[in-house]
Amino acid sequence: MTTQLPIALLGGIGEFLTSAGHNQPVLNALLLMLAIVVPLVVALALAISGALSERAVKVCGAIGFLVPGLISLWLAAVYISAFPFGGYAFEMSADLGLLERFGIQLHLGLNGLALPFYVMAGLVGMAAGLYAIQSGVERLRLYLILLLVMQGGLMGVFSSIDVLFFYFFHEFALIPTFIMIALWGRTGRKAVAIEVTIYLTFGAMITLAGLIALYLFSGAEQFNMIAMREAIVEAPYQGTIFGLLLIGFGVLVSLFPFHTWAPRAYATAPAPAAMLHAGVLKKFGLYGLIQLAYPLLPQGAADWAPLLLWLALGNLLIIGFVTMSQRDLKLMLGNASVMHMGYAFLGLYAYSTVGIGAAIMMLFAHGLSVALLFLLADVVEKRGGTADFKELGGMGLRAPVLMGLFTAAMLASIGLPGFANFWGELGIFVALFASDTPWVLYLALIGIVISAVYGLRAVASVFFGEAKGEFKGGDITPAEKAPALLLLISLFVIGLWPKVVSDPVNESVNRSFKDAVPTVTASTDEPTLSE
Amino acid sequence: MDLGTVLSVILLAPLVAAGLIWILARQRAALAMTLSLGAAATILCLSLWLFFGGWDGSAFEISTEWLTLGSLTLDVGFLLNDLSALMLFIVAFVGFWIHLFSVGYMNDDKARGRFFGGLSIFMFSMLGIVLANNLFMMFIFWELVGFSSYMLIGHYLDTDEAAQASKKAFIVNRVGDFGFLIGIIITYWTFGTVNFNELREVVGTQPQLVTTLMGLLLFCGVLGKSAQMPLHVWLPDAMAGPTPISALIHAATMVAAGVYFLGRSFFLFTEEALHIVAWVGVVTAVSAALWAFAQRDIKKILAYSTLSQLGYMVAGFGLGSLYGLHHGDAHNALYYGIGASMFHLTTHAFFKALLFLGSGSVIHACHHEQDIFKMGGLWKKMPLTTLTFAAGVIAIAGVPFIAAGFFSKDAILYVAMKTSQPAFYILTGTALLTALYMGRLFFIAFLGKPNSESAEHAHESPWTIVLPLLVLAVFSIGGGYMIMYPVTLQEVMGHWVPHPHGKDHTTMIIISAVASIVGLVLARIIYGAGAATDKLEKTLPPVFAISRSRFYFDEVYGYYVKKVQDRLADVVAFLDTLFISGVLVRGSAAVAGLLGVTARRLHTGSVSTYVWWFFAGLVLFGAYAGGFFDGIIQ
Repeated sequence: MTTQLPIALLGGIGEFLTSAGHNQPVLNALLLMLAIVVPLVVALALAISGALSERAVKVCGAIGFLVPGLISLWLAAVYISAFPFGGYAFEMSADLGLLERFGIQLHLGLNGLALPFYVMAGLVGMAAGLYAIQSGVERLRLYLILLLVMQGGLMGVFSSIDVLFFYFFHEFALIPTFIMIALWGRTGRKAVAIEVTIYLTFGAMITLAGLIALYLFSGAEQFNMIAMREAIVEAPYQGTIFGLLLIGFGVLVSLFPFHTWAPRAYATAPAPAAMLHAGVLKKFGLYGLIQLAYPLLPQGAADWAPLLLWLALGNLLIIGFVTMSQRDLKLMLGNASVMHMGYAFLGLYAYSTVGIGAAIMMLFAHGLSVALLFLLADVVEKRGGTADFKELGGMGLRAPVLMGLFTAAMLASIGLPGFANFWGELGIFVALFASDTPWVLYLALIGIVISAVYGLRAVASVFFGEAKGEFKGGDITPAEKAPALLLLISLFVIGLWPKVVSDPVNESVNRSFKDAVPTVTASTDEPTLSE
Repeated sequence: MDLGTVLSVILLAPLVAAGLIWILARQRAALAMTLSLGAAATILCLSLWLFFGGWDGSAFEISTEWLTLGSLTLDVGFLLNDLSALMLFIVAFVGFWIHLFSVGYMNDDKARGRFFGGLSIFMFSMLGIVLANNLFMMFIFWELVGFSSYMLIGHYLDTDEAAQASKKAFIVNRVGDFGFLIGIIITYWTFGTVNFNELREVVGTQPQLVTTLMGLLLFCGVLGKSAQMPLHVWLPDAMAGPTPISALIHAATMVAAGVYFLGRSFFLFTEEALHIVAWVGVVTAVSAALWAFAQRDIKKILAYSTLSQLGYMVAGFGLGSLYGLHHGDAHNALYYGIGASMFHLTTHAFFKALLFLGSGSVIHACHHEQDIFKMGGLWKKMPLTTLTFAAGVIAIAGVPFIAAGFFSKDAILYVAMKTSQPAFYILTGTALLTALYMGRLFFIAFLGKPNSESAEHAHESPWTIVLPLLVLAVFSIGGGYMIMYPVTLQEVMGHWVPHPHGKDHTTMIIISAVASIVGLVLARIIYGAGAATDKLEKTLPPVFAISRSRFYFDEVYGYYVKKVQDRLADVVAFLDTLFISGVLVRGSAAVAGLLGVTARRLHTGSVSTYVWWFFAGLVLFGAYAGGFFDGIIQ
């Protein structure tokens, strides 16, 4: 009796979600649209309305972040319940008159590859928004406007099927980052803002060139993912196009050696911007590679694989060592986030359903955990007045809850089981051994030792030891804790129950990559599961 | 109740307790204690229900899918068989008494919420290792016990020692897990499964698939978790944690997980691999025993003793399995390695938990004095603690017939005698050393007269501390006899342990008797009762120095970390800044700047200019993409 009730309840919810998926296509597509529009409209309203009380500004901001966040969770629940067979769900498209001529439409929808990124954008957006609202920053209204524009762009990036909009939304989200660094950054903000702007604009340009080349040579009628995927049979210049995309996207994801902008940008940016950028926006590049470059250009991917391998190992090992030598908490986190991109690239390098699926899981988890770490590092910096390890210490006794959250977040990010990050890393390791070059596993696994070293050093130097330096403001406040818990609990739930993410991913990965394997990766001497 | 549900409750009860403590009881010590103790009691009761009728003794497996990615499927499942049932009993039984002990021991600690929460997380993780039916799941809980160990070693946050020791424990274990995970992944791709039962079936039909490398990589995990040479360095430092933690995690259960894992996957080890495993164990056993002589801290002595006994177990596994391969014609020969190591693991769990808790009782009474040369004369002040501690010393020294350690060590010495003469001599010598250093500890700390004020004012501990001591003392003495265990648990220790017969039997008894009694008597003669100074240090400084050097492992690793690893990191970071950031990025920006006045104008340094340029470019590209220029160009 006791066990039947929850099961019946879960079944009822599942049925409700399934019917919501099948019977309400218009509603769900509209929600997809709203997730983009609401933050932008709120931003616009804040920009053009006259004097508003601080409270009103905060409430507006909260609505602008919570609506897309909740929509992303709702759509994820519906997707998982109602679309077990994958493909794009919640599709909608709108004619845009003139642009139609170029094969461009506003075309939205989600597939299993996009869903984790989309939910990540919603969750991190909520956390960053809530954190920003309580941050007490100067010119809060402008701060929130810029963040809301970012958020609208982010929701658009991962729900666009049309490639131009996919790119356009990325720019929409990117530009506020530059401004936020320049206005609210910590010391050295001007120089960093310029460097990041030049660098990322450069990367985005190359990406765009690659995307356009892909479109032109694919012979597709429309500049969207579905049409291009159907059109491509034997595209010429695969190597060149893939190269453009790899470098362009690579710059945006801080692929070694195009990574130097990232740590300084994240360390300098105000925390919510760093959370959204390092957590979500940066994933644009890898998402683009997974959604477009790899399925469409398998031969190009195979041609570039040997180089990619060394670059990814550069991320993992070289930047791993760079991370170990950092003396500033935020710079360390920035470098660590660059290092972790190496795992994701290695997952792509393995080019198998395991590797790519695991890379997606890893990126999802990384988005949440890096955002959480930047949030908590910001709290640490506020309390201690500095992020320099030498001047911090002994915070554990003064702020035990902050210590608990920070330690959990750090352990999550270094791949402790029980948190979402572990599954992705494990899957990537498993996939690497089945690639052409199983020895890569041995090098890649050095990463787990490196990350343990710097992660635990950070925890030890901030929280352990005798109390040191100034300390103002007490333990973490409820307003700071709420967004942190949102992220931490999400990481924990996925850690315990990874199927929520892995099932849709697995379905879509199998669909996208089953037929596109270029040079067979799994070595044939060894028996696989199916045998 | 079906078995699957019972096992799930056993596994999840401590996790639920830990969750509730985190949510409700961070500031409420009494509630935290109740929740944690309640979970431990639930585990013990359900386990006892299993062993006294709930489970019929036949292997039981239940499994469900956890995650699927492409061709990789991970399961979460339980495998209850003779081996895991025994381990479950040890964890549940010893775990419960240590929980009860902690209630008394930690009564004045300010962070009891964190402590008991951590204890419950540990129980959850450890039970996961015990019940796991596949390698991936075991690895997951393997990492989680590492985490709980990290958290609990670091309990005394404000001490530098705790900060360093907790970090060291986690990182050294990660080094071991590096090899362990490679081993698991190789196993997975070789056999197509990581499920223990399925692996065993495949190995049965295709034994040629098992390689020595695979076994040795898996053994790396054991090196870390069970602190075998050369990854043993973290365990002595881990004594920075509270004493109940040292008893539960760093003596009785977690560090024994490596030995348990060997038993769980014994069929993946080739003969060459077994030789190496055995010798790693032998070398660890004798080295750690030698190092124990230079220690003054009561917990450190016990820590080196734990290292040494773990070495015995690992050696017992290797030698026992080899013995089974070559000499065993009996039905259970295949399991001799498991029997020998698990029997010692079981008795060791009782007597080492007892010794650590006894030392905790002493430390508690002496106001956190841990130097044995500042104790002395405790038998008058703390009779029950002294009595039970003496039982522990007798047990570990292996005094014939009245010590659990006698029977289990006997089995290991016997397989050593039958397999490898050098290993046999070294292990026998180690048995003598064990009795000697344990005698040193006992005679100096408990007998004679008090050597300090804190020892002067010591008094017997409360019942929550003494009761666990008494229970564990009973098992330390009687744990060698099968009658102490439920019938369902007797398979491993009753039938899988290789026993000497006839002449061998007599020889073994004589050897054990001589080693243990001579060791204890020598200790009394050399060190004297309640001594205030170390006799060995005074009379034979070179020998003492060798013992104190601990063969310079810590120094070498310290040198590596400071002088190699950190410097390498700094150099790499410097090169990264200099070349990639400086020359490549800024350099190319400078080149762009030299291209002319136009370029200079573009690089105005204002963000908004870039933004406008960016939009302009975007529009142009978009237009080109859409074919907008096609007409113009034509």
